Amino acid sequence: MSGALRAAWRLRGAARGWAGRRLSQAAAGGAEGSGGDGGDGGGSGSREAVERLVRAHPVVVFMKGSPAQPLCGFSNAVVQILRLHGVQDYRAHDVLQDPDLRQGIKNYSNWPTIPQVYLNGEFVGGCDILLQMHQNGDLVEELKKLGIRSALLDAEKDQDKK
Amino acid sequence: MLRSRAATATKTAAAAALALRRGSSMAEGPVGRAIRAKLQAALEPSYLRVLDESHRHAGPPGAESHFAVVVVSGRFAGLPPLQRHRLVHGALRAELAGPVHALAIVARTPEQWGADPRVPPSPACLGGSKHQHPEAEPPGAPAAS
Repeated sequence: MSGALRAAWRLRGAARGWAGRRLSQAAAGGAEGSGGDGGDGGGSGSREAVERLVRAHPVVVFMKGSPAQPLCGFSNAVVQILRLHGVQDYRAHDVLQDPDLRQGIKNYSNWPTIPQVYLNGEFVGGCDILLQMHQNGDLVEELKKLGIRSALLDAEKDQDKK
Repeated sequence: MLRSRAATATKTAAAAALALRRGSSMAEGPVGRAIRAKLQAALEPSYLRVLDESHRHAGPPGAESHFAVVVVSGRFAGLPPLQRHRLVHGALRAELAGPVHALAIVARTPEQWGADPRVPPSPACLGGSKHQHPEAEPPGAPAAS
């Protein structure tokens, strides 16, 4: 694994700075349903509510904590990988703030764990898969399809120049 | 009968001590054994490693809440990572609906494993559900992580 990513693993919720500031909404703002209703009644965990969230932006993450302060190592890994690629603008939803959303997102994707990463409204996987995509170059390609240029491409270019 | 109970207690204590010393422990408890058996049956792996990493995540040693599995199986051939992980989840539906909160998965074909047997280290705990909304599931037992 690259030294940069190894350093990222050791970060203890230290993802302060621009990644957090650019973020538009946390779950408190993002849960459009009334929130009291549980999974199926039109609450924040309903299929419709989750669908709206995953389609709201090209890059959507359901995690524990926030990009500025992840509260789970696996969620932090997702934040750090996005940060490495220079993805500044994405939606992150803190499932710890909303138990209905926490269950609803698992029902929606039929995936039992958090974090969950959605690209262009499509579920791509959790932390393990995102790490794999980062390591094998797939993430750069997927971001390109979304019109997002990975910062790592520029890093490579700089190295070539030297 | 008493002797076998003592033997079990000794084994459990030894596993706990090992867990404290190492980063993770080979999963010795009932949940770990169930995970191993189900993955064996569902995927017939050529290599299988099941680690209990619960004590690294705000749980006592032997909590059996967080696992990391390495599954090497020909059944994964031709499947993208998402589908491979879904196969693993499918085999462990009961555990994931029950005590298991987290499951790190490495899923490779024998060819891929032969070419690269490295496994990324699991990320450090950052407190997780101890920080959750008060109305949600009850927090796990407090412990140093």
